[in-house]
Amino acid sequence: MSGYVPPTSTAAATTTTSTGEGRSVDYTCGDCNAAVSLKRGEPIRCRSCGHRVLYKQRTNRMVQFEAR
Amino acid sequence: MAPSRTSQKWGTDFDTVRRQKLFQNPPTDRTAYPALVEAIKPHIQSFNTILERGGILDHAIKDIGTKVFLDGDPYLADGQPRNKLSVRIRDVFIEKPLLPPTNKFALKERRIMPAEARERHGTYRGRMSVRLEYKINNDPWRDTVREMGQVPIMLKSNRCHLENMTPSQLVDAKEESEEQGGYFIVNGNEKLIRMLVVNKRNYPMAITRPSFANRGPTYSKFGVQIRCVRKDQTSQTNVLHYLNDGNINFRFSWRKREYLVPMMMILKALVETNDREIFEGIVGAAGSKGLQEKQFVTDRLEVLLRTYKVYGLQGKAKTRAHLGDKFRPVLRVAEDMSDEDAGTEFLKRIVLVHLGDGKVTDEQNADKFKLLLFMVRKLYALVEGDCAEDNPDAVQNQEILLGGFLYGQILKERLDEWLFSIRLSLQKWGRTSNWLSFTSPEFKKDFLSKVIRKTNENIGHDIEYFMSTGNLVSTSGLDLQQTSGFTVVAEKINFYRFISHFRMVHRGSFFAQLKTTTVRKLLPESWGFLCPVHTPDGSPCGLLNHFAHKCVLATHNVDVSAIPQLVAQLGVTSKSSASLNESVVVQLDGRVLGFCTPKQARVIGDTLRYWKVEGTHNVPLELEVGYVPNSNGGQYPGVYIFSQSARMYRPVKYLPLDKLDYVGPFEQPYMSIACTDPEIVSGESTHVEYDPTNILSIVANMTPFSDFNQSPRNMYQCQMGKQTMGTPGAAIRYRTDNKTYRLQTGQTPVVRAPLHNEYGLDNFPNGTNAIVAVISYTGYDMDDAMILNKSSHERGFAHGTIYKTKLCQLEEGSQRSRSAKSVQKLFGFAPGGLIRAQWRDTLDDDGWPHIGAQLQKGDILAAWHTVSYDPATGDYVNRDGRTEFIKYKDDETAFVDEVRIIGSENGNEPCQTISVKLRVPRSPVIGDKFSSRHGQKGVCSQKWPAIDMPFSESGMQPDIIINPHAFPSRMTIGMFVESLAGKSGALHGLAQDSTPFKFDEENTAVDYFGHQLKKAGYNYYGNEPMYSGITGQELAADIYIGVVYYQRLRHMVNDKFQVRTTGPVDDLTGQPVKGRKKGGGIRVGEMERDSLLAHGTAFLLQDRLMNCSDYVRTWVCRACGSFMSTSPTVSQYSRRKMGTGITRCRRCAKRADGFEPKAKVWEDGEGVRWTGGDDVAIVAVPGVLKYLDVEFASMGVKMRYKIDP
Repeated sequence: MSGYVPPTSTAAATTTTSTGEGRSVDYTCGDCNAAVSLKRGEPIRCRSCGHRVLYKQRTNRMVQFEAR
Repeated sequence: MAPSRTSQKWGTDFDTVRRQKLFQNPPTDRTAYPALVEAIKPHIQSFNTILERGGILDHAIKDIGTKVFLDGDPYLADGQPRNKLSVRIRDVFIEKPLLPPTNKFALKERRIMPAEARERHGTYRGRMSVRLEYKINNDPWRDTVREMGQVPIMLKSNRCHLENMTPSQLVDAKEESEEQGGYFIVNGNEKLIRMLVVNKRNYPMAITRPSFANRGPTYSKFGVQIRCVRKDQTSQTNVLHYLNDGNINFRFSWRKREYLVPMMMILKALVETNDREIFEGIVGAAGSKGLQEKQFVTDRLEVLLRTYKVYGLQGKAKTRAHLGDKFRPVLRVAEDMSDEDAGTEFLKRIVLVHLGDGKVTDEQNADKFKLLLFMVRKLYALVEGDCAEDNPDAVQNQEILLGGFLYGQILKERLDEWLFSIRLSLQKWGRTSNWLSFTSPEFKKDFLSKVIRKTNENIGHDIEYFMSTGNLVSTSGLDLQQTSGFTVVAEKINFYRFISHFRMVHRGSFFAQLKTTTVRKLLPESWGFLCPVHTPDGSPCGLLNHFAHKCVLATHNVDVSAIPQLVAQLGVTSKSSASLNESVVVQLDGRVLGFCTPKQARVIGDTLRYWKVEGTHNVPLELEVGYVPNSNGGQYPGVYIFSQSARMYRPVKYLPLDKLDYVGPFEQPYMSIACTDPEIVSGESTHVEYDPTNILSIVANMTPFSDFNQSPRNMYQCQMGKQTMGTPGAAIRYRTDNKTYRLQTGQTPVVRAPLHNEYGLDNFPNGTNAIVAVISYTGYDMDDAMILNKSSHERGFAHGTIYKTKLCQLEEGSQRSRSAKSVQKLFGFAPGGLIRAQWRDTLDDDGWPHIGAQLQKGDILAAWHTVSYDPATGDYVNRDGRTEFIKYKDDETAFVDEVRIIGSENGNEPCQTISVKLRVPRSPVIGDKFSSRHGQKGVCSQKWPAIDMPFSESGMQPDIIINPHAFPSRMTIGMFVESLAGKSGALHGLAQDSTPFKFDEENTAVDYFGHQLKKAGYNYYGNEPMYSGITGQELAADIYIGVVYYQRLRHMVNDKFQVRTTGPVDDLTGQPVKGRKKGGGIRVGEMERDSLLAHGTAFLLQDRLMNCSDYVRTWVCRACGSFMSTSPTVSQYSRRKMGTGITRCRRCAKRADGFEPKAKVWEDGEGVRWTGGDDVAIVAVPGVLKYLDVEFASMGVKMRYKIDP
């Protein structure tokens, strides 16, 4: 975990960005808590225990709302 | 040293440290809350009996027996000997929920835990298989195991992984530490089979029903009905009908059809008998006392015996053959069975089945004969007026159909149907194979692979359908009066509601439609079994009851093998005397043990009771000894002993031995049970209640000082307690309910009954202790409104959250596991396509929302694109580069709380489903509903600034202000007492015992708590001088202020508000649509209209009914008064057929003949020229009026409007 990473494409990329083809995203296994990284189209299961429910991890993005 | 066992004793105290420790380290030995286990036990145990050794299914497969099918063309009667195929079910297995063998990835853990079923929105189910045995002719039996699909499994049952788990293991399995099970998980929903009230088994009930007389000529309203229950818990109801000429018919229903048989025929078929035996069996032994007075019965009996002679059936064998001949088509017996055997089968399957179903011995047939004779006696006694009718609405004549038993019955019927369906499959095979014989090698080859294969073996699917819809699809109807509404969702809004589902019992949806209210009445017989307080008001009132918290349900039969001998020793004879004053019956589970004198009957009842409490003579404690004494036209006397399951019973103290005794609803009306110790009448009371609060349900017990309240207020509290925003549980992270409520700042009540601890309700706090002042302040507390202290609100008072789970499925519907290759859609952005930054506001790289994303209406919840499988690369290829979205459609702002990625059971498919849990914060706002625990609900009307709130001499301010007018008419004194007790409890740091019936006239509650307050330096009466927050002046009166536990109810304005200026309208009428979701309006109905009329506010009325509704300006012809004949004209001269904006009436116009002045001629759209019809005008009318006109016209009715001036 790298902690908070400021968004690379800031104000300039308001309209479009191109796809990160096959970028993998980390998830947490619902049973053994292991980190599972999956790419697009990969079957859903934990690598270590074969569990079938994965949770999305907390985002490193900055989440900020206007408190009003 | 082994750690000491977890204590299961609870007191009145807060036990904060103990609970904290229980929470931090869930016990590894046993639960700390045995009362909770006890509450749900009937559900689990009834399910367990299905698969136990000697359980429901064991008896069921015995009852289903062997089915025999013959080969050859059934339409060809050539008398050739035909081969016999016999099939039977040997065993039924149900496995615990496991992964399918196709899943090759999970190696260590093959179990599917309930939490996974919830999270995947799946069904918690186990594989069912059947060992089928078959033989041809007299060959040895051969067997095969058939898979019957997967059936839903009850949690914590003997087929669940959670069975016997300790609280700490349960927490590891992602359950509540106090998970009790008792329900099923079907498609991610928690479902349970609701308990149902049915007639008491094996007891002949005398009933009069006017509808009986409608059955045909000579039928009377009298009948005796018995619901006979087989060992496998299936039942068959038999009814004897009294005919006005003295005859008796035997009625039963079989496969949803009703049949009537002369009662005499059944008697003669059961045993080899003669008219004298029947006569003496019904009237009484010859020479016995009172025979002369029995003229009524003797007359009728003569008719009975004489009219039966017309059948000319002599002897048992002939009678059975006659019955067999008539009933063999509906009984579905083997084709080669003799008529006599079919008749025997008839008696076995239909007549008094509780006295022997499997292999019926002669002795059992004699029992049936005796019971039938008894029923006839009772019927004649009823007609004669010697005994009263039994009330089927009284709990005395009722028992409970438990969920597990119903489940078992359905399983049995499915298995029976399946076994019989082999016959159809065989016939189909025979037809295609040109009626090859069963002995041919082709048959041997095809039997399993083709014949059995063609039958519908997926019983699991049927059961799952039943569980998810509650609809019973059945050929026999299972002797029940309803076909739907058997299952309910166990909503976990808060723990009160959840636990109530398991203590809930319904009278049957049949009774819900009944116009009469007799079935809904609270009868004194229900004392201690059904809670008198805990029933909803409104349509299900009195039909949906809850058990008293100490009421136990029997799930097993108790051993009564010793009883017949004991009764014989106490003195019964087999022959009865003619008079009821001479001899009364002794029955055990609907079996006549004999007859004895009424005096002796009393002795038998008393002695058995003494023995059963003492635990000697092998008389089980749970036995119900119903001694019905002789009376003047009351219930038919006798001793009726019940030992079987589905009974209710409850603990009371038996005074002679000072020991625990269980009493049932049948015996209770004839016993003298004192409510409290001082009420014991020496020489009369045999029992005393352990606690008067035993009659209340769990939820009703939680109302503090409920004995001080007017009773309907306690009912309202039972309602509202279940609608409170509370704590659904601790395992909220692993739940995926569609909607759950959560109170952020829950507290344990200062004022509570000790039962609160015993049921572990502190694990699920349901409200907040609030400082409540009863004062009319600012006027914003009028009419049940309450003022909230703004600073309390800001400190989090009653802050709540709603969790909603949205299921995003790409493959809608189809549950069958598709192969990974047939996937057509994938989550994520289309590769190669462009991704807008705006999309990335809520979504991550994977096309799923990130945790914490804020969602407004119309925001993106997930992205997907279409794909096709490329076998060459093994990859999914997207061809159009287009990304599509699933959107968030609700109106409220929500935050993404959890995102669950759900894989298939096989573990080899890409993601097709995600489940997103959204969090909607709900701080209290004006219009939200609150309530104390005394049925005193109110709506927050203002959040009043703290500086303007009134304050006491010590500077305290109330959290809540309520109006004094809330009390005089409602008489909720309990709330005052709670306020006092709460105040003193808070001052002294005590948990106050609020159990009802603890105080009396000498020791009043007010005095008790008043002194506590006095000790703390407060006013004895709970009043305090207060100062106006606005002027600072002391208020003229002292204000009643104290601590009351407040609940926040789930009804919130944000889910309800409805406002409209303009919006969608109905296509047909042009009027605004209805419904909050669609942005519709609220109807100004007839009564509202009347009131506006009465007020003379015509303009307002005009505005509501016309201008804001379907206001339409339209052309009308003044001459002929029609809307429909007007038509726009077309310019005669312009080339492009332009409209002129002038409208004319076609009906009043004449064809132009060319001589008119040009100005008077007009042309219609078809180019026809007309003249005249110019007396038209524009009027404003409601749009529906024009529609009405058209509707009338379509039926040939003309409407003509007079347009003045």
